[in-house]
Amino acid sequence: MKKVKVLILRTAGTNCDCETQAAFELSGAVAERIHINALIEKKDKILEYDILAFPGGFSYGDDIASGKILSNEIKNKLGDKIKKFALSGRPIIGICNGFQVLVKMGLLPDPEIFEQISTLSYNDSDKFECRWVYLKTEKKIQNESNCIWTNNLPDVISLPVAHGEGKFIPNDEKLLYSLNKNNQVVFRYSSKDGGKPEYPLDPNGSVEQIAGICNTKGNVFGLMPHPERYVFALQHPARESISGEYGWGKIIFQNAVDFVK
Amino acid sequence: MFYIEIYTKKGFKNSHGEHVLSDILGIGVKDITKVEYSPLYVIDGDITSAEAETIASELLSDKIIETYICRSEKQSKEEDGKIGSPFSVIEVWYRKGVTDTVSESVVKAVKDLGILKEIKVKTGHKYYLYGKVSQIVLSDVATKLLANTLVQEYIAQ
Repeated sequence: MKKVKVLILRTAGTNCDCETQAAFELSGAVAERIHINALIEKKDKILEYDILAFPGGFSYGDDIASGKILSNEIKNKLGDKIKKFALSGRPIIGICNGFQVLVKMGLLPDPEIFEQISTLSYNDSDKFECRWVYLKTEKKIQNESNCIWTNNLPDVISLPVAHGEGKFIPNDEKLLYSLNKNNQVVFRYSSKDGGKPEYPLDPNGSVEQIAGICNTKGNVFGLMPHPERYVFALQHPARESISGEYGWGKIIFQNAVDFVK
Repeated sequence: MFYIEIYTKKGFKNSHGEHVLSDILGIGVKDITKVEYSPLYVIDGDITSAEAETIASELLSDKIIETYICRSEKQSKEEDGKIGSPFSVIEVWYRKGVTDTVSESVVKAVKDLGILKEIKVKTGHKYYLYGKVSQIVLSDVATKLLANTLVQEYIAQ
């Protein structure tokens, strides 16, 4: 059986890299946490991996704006390799701060364009919002989305969020239409029964409650909630689980590992 | 020296400004009806105006929801001092000698952009307060809410 190799990119202020590594290893992959400076020295190393993960945290202290400095660094120093990785169809995930990085460097929603065409801005509350939320897993029941990360999830799942800048805003109506039409919106904040949420279940005021998107191919995926914080059932305050032992987040990592295998 | 001010584009929420307005109401000041917040950056060094524009557009502002003005510091202050404007302005800056961690990040990020010249960066905060208030009230808002005067200084006008 092929050993799936995961690269978890970290830098100053990254703080969810260990949990992300654990989630991938629990799913049967070999995951390495590598500092961006080491990658810049050996750029080709990126292409030795099967999956690339941008974990959550507060890269460079969220200075200027969350994910801005890291996205600027990656785009200018590793941009060609990262784009090549994405266009090769290999899975990429950006979680919370990692999602902000993907969006601000332009790898989402369209890695072929590789220009910023949407953003994640300050929560409407102007506060750091940290709680469990419900997510409607758009279109997966009908298997209409290409997203390889969100197979086998039920209509509504629960994951924790923890961010100050999670309000997703597309550049214009045309982009929003195209994200919806191409089934690139894979998670929306929802109420427990999948309806439209009010604050605080809608933690940030995202346009159309968007919480996670993927590219049209479905291999590049970004989301504000933290799936790596719900891989075991016991991590949920109500001990909700899939079948006793694991949480919904585990399925997301398992999907990518199985895809590569 | 370049003075860069970041503005929220029309139609987008200025969340921090709204939060500050709520705090202002909370301390009993009723005459301010709207607050807009803008981050400020002063960049000192041998960079060209084209490089300053690149820094402002590619690094300091978010092209989806923000815009910016990049100009000399002197021009900006003259304009803010206009009599009869519908708003008052409070600027908050670190005192000399206080570590400005964001400025250190900006210096690193400018190098990442490929601009390798030596620069110094200073960061600040600017609040536009709409409504008629006295200088005493402005000082009250600045000292109670916007500036930690132990490490920061403010200009209210």
